[in-house]
Amino acid sequence: MTGDVFDPEQLSRCISCGFCLPACPTYAMTGDEASSPRGRITLMRALQDGTLPPDDGTLAEESSFCLGCRACEPVCPAGVEYGSLLEQWRVHQWRGWRRPLVARALMLLVEQRWLLRLSGLVRRAARGRAVTPAPPPSAPAASALSAPASGAAPAPAAAPGSAAAGGAGAQLMLGCVERGLYPAVSRAARALAPELAVPTAQGCCGALHAHNGDLAGGERLAERLGADLPGTIVTTSGGCAAHLASVLGRDRVRELSTWLADRPAGAELRVGGRRARVTLQDSCHLRNGLGVFAEPRMLLRQVADYVELPSAAACCGAAGTYSLLRPKDSRRILDAKLDEIEAAGVDLVVAVNPGCLRQLRTGLRRRRSAVRAVHLAELLARVESP
Amino acid sequence: MALSATVLAELRGIVGPSHVHDAAGDLVAYARDATPLFSHRPDAVVFPADTAEVAAVLALATRHRVPVVPRGAGSNLCAATVPLRGGIVLVLTRLNAILEVSGDELLARTQPGATSAALADAAAAQGLLWAPDPGSRTVATVGGTIATCAGGLRGLKYGVTRNYVLGLEAVLPTGEVIRTGGRLWKDVAGYDLTRLLTGSEGTLAVITEATVALLPAPASANTGVAYFPTLADAGEAVARVIRAGVVPATLEFLDRACIDAVEDFAHLGLRTDAGALLLFGDDGPPDLVAAHLDRIGAACVEAGAVEVTTAREVAQAEALLAARRCALPALSRRGGVTILEDATVPRPRIAEMVDRIDAIAARHDVAIATFGHAGDGNLHPTCVLDSAEDHDAVRRAEAAFADVFAAAIDLGGTITGEHGVGAAKLPFLAARLGEDQLALLRRIKSAFDPAGILNPGKLGS
Ligand SMILES: Cc1cc2nc3c(=O)[nH]c(=O)nc-3n(C[C@H](O)[C@H](O)[C@H](O)COP(=O)(O)OP(=O)(O)OC[C@H]3O[C@@H](n4cnc5c(N)ncnc54)[C@H](O)[C@@H]3O)c2cc1C
Ligand code: SF4
Ligand code: SF4
Repeated sequence: MTGDVFDPEQLSRCISCGFCLPACPTYAMTGDEASSPRGRITLMRALQDGTLPPDDGTLAEESSFCLGCRACEPVCPAGVEYGSLLEQWRVHQWRGWRRPLVARALMLLVEQRWLLRLSGLVRRAARGRAVTPAPPPSAPAASALSAPASGAAPAPAAAPGSAAAGGAGAQLMLGCVERGLYPAVSRAARALAPELAVPTAQGCCGALHAHNGDLAGGERLAERLGADLPGTIVTTSGGCAAHLASVLGRDRVRELSTWLADRPAGAELRVGGRRARVTLQDSCHLRNGLGVFAEPRMLLRQVADYVELPSAAACCGAAGTYSLLRPKDSRRILDAKLDEIEAAGVDLVVAVNPGCLRQLRTGLRRRRSAVRAVHLAELLARVESP
Repeated sequence: MALSATVLAELRGIVGPSHVHDAAGDLVAYARDATPLFSHRPDAVVFPADTAEVAAVLALATRHRVPVVPRGAGSNLCAATVPLRGGIVLVLTRLNAILEVSGDELLARTQPGATSAALADAAAAQGLLWAPDPGSRTVATVGGTIATCAGGLRGLKYGVTRNYVLGLEAVLPTGEVIRTGGRLWKDVAGYDLTRLLTGSEGTLAVITEATVALLPAPASANTGVAYFPTLADAGEAVARVIRAGVVPATLEFLDRACIDAVEDFAHLGLRTDAGALLLFGDDGPPDLVAAHLDRIGAACVEAGAVEVTTAREVAQAEALLAARRCALPALSRRGGVTILEDATVPRPRIAEMVDRIDAIAARHDVAIATFGHAGDGNLHPTCVLDSAEDHDAVRRAEAAFADVFAAAIDLGGTITGEHGVGAAKLPFLAARLGEDQLALLRRIKSAFDPAGILNPGKLGS
């Protein structure tokens, strides 16, 4: 008996009906029960009751092959909280040295507040350079984000409250991946919601830890961030939003699109003299964990022609650290998605999560595609990270 | 019984090494299906790619006397794909091509691993209807649907899968490939092996291709809901609907516990203060559908319905049907183990059966919720227990279901209307068929499967 890996109540909820099978991207790849949500839950049960030894190869393989995209959750009539079971599984599976090296390194990195602060400094230094100002009406539409003929792009607000640490008002979370890779996204968010305070002393939300077998660390970091940013936390990352909400409670956390939902989205976005055609790639955790998918679409519809892709809700393969840990599987999932995006004839694909943004951008560049990937905040504020 | 190295090597030679799995974890994943309380590990899981590979695997299995359990999506509810004697689980999901949809001939040809929903979509794209509609259609394969002769939400008007199978390609356990029936709607040459294989639960042959009849898609469809004080009132309404001369496509009921559970999942705004609801629907020309829905609504009011509404939009109607399809898994929100059964009685006796189920539940001190395809007299009494570890409760549930089956037979009904016999119902089959017929079943089984390798412990055993 291993016994205590999973919350038995959660584990017993699954009745093996298989309704989740068609939603699962890894099952679609293999057609193998073992790589389906139902099969993985059967494996978890075998681990829990000791019928499989903890070092079983299939257990190890399947716990890491799973994307953690939680597409299996909203379709499960029995209400199985698969994402939470997976986190518990990885705590057991990836104990100590068994945790993948890349994940360990990343976790160490984002836990160092001084490093985060440093990347914050870099971000500030880069501020002047990275903003792509809306080109004048006469300029050729070289950028997909060119402003409308009327030139009505919202002017980036003059960094209000940037030093205002604390306070119980709403505050913008900078995100540890985002502040390193895409500082322009936070900058765009500030331009769109100047009322948000932006304390620079803030850590990592811990989603990375929770998804990579350090559930306790993930909770600790989320709580610390919650203390650093009292009041409502607004984030530009779907993954962080879902994790923070699970620890701090849903009422403390807002993803940017829901924060912006009831204000006008700005002037129409034009490309080559016509209204831009855009599509959205959902963030798995935002959609499947928090049920947020209507708001970003609503915002996009106001400024552009929105094209819904059949697989918008399906994972792009970024899945947190997945693209680093399992590059081949990640590529396979991404390739199908990129084929679909290119076939749809859109100008832009919009992400609401830095990981997805990186994944899509890298993939599209590799293909030399004409389609560009941008973050929702960047699109609405008409800036773009390099 | 572990497989010998020779057998494993031969299997790998037939389907390729990556399509034979025999690691402990892989076997655990195939030890069970959607049936609670049954589990047994196979010795190998094999994923063939075509008919020739299926034939070679079966011939090998007969030669070495290795049990083989064909498997589609494993969504059956009678332990039909649990490999009780170990051996090989033969997974047919790689054979998932829909080969042809013909509007001129009103038929489709498909491999067995395609899902029932995929076939329905392919048919719909050409304005055609694949009528069988089990609740599990998005998961269940066509092969599994044929092998269990599945029914579903449209059973009242359209019948079960059997009515739509025109021809099969199947591999016998000894490795021969036969083709039964064909593309013809009229063909009476020989014994009707197509019908024999339909519903044979993987005990006679492995289906590798099916030719199925499609119908022209109805011009429109709509759905309504009627709420009743009690499930017996809903049963009375069913009798009145049928007497009124209307044969709706759908006539489903849910009792209060089921309404609660479904509402919890689907958030449709169902009334959770009612004792039961009847979900009714019809398809066809819009005028006729409207007229039928009106008449059904009137019959419900006569039977004591407290409220009757019809869906305003197609999307709403589809949402109602989808909610009904998930009644079983939604019920598991109530506890750790959900045992669903499947008994059918003549339609006029539904209300009586509902009363008997209530009495049986009380006698054995178990909670039984009931929903079902009321129009067919097909009930799904479902027992929700806190945990499978509570052996006493499990025993009480089992005893209660034995009584439920006896009651169904007593009322002129049967022990399964659509889910099949599998391993779960085998002990009750004699009560339904009698010993002479069981003996005939066994002789048929040994004619197809002399070595007894195909799905042992199920039908024909
Ligand atoms: C929530 C839920 C709702 C359901 N609703 C309904 C319903 O409304 N009506 C209904 O009738 N059933 C229903 N079912 C039961 C089940 O889903 C159906 O019987 C389904 O058609 C089985 O398909 P499958 O692919 O999962 O088959 P499996 O479960 O894999 O197999 C079922 C049987 O078919 C055999 N088999 C599978 N493929 C082949 C093949 N190619 N050749 C030979 N034998 C084969 C297997 O050996 C086994 O005996 C429901 C199940 C669930 C979990
Ligand atoms: S849909 Fe839910 S209950 Fe059904 S098998 Fe999947 S996880 Fe289990
Ligand atoms: S989280 Fe995603 S990949 Fe993992 S089992 Fe669920 S649907 Fe499949």
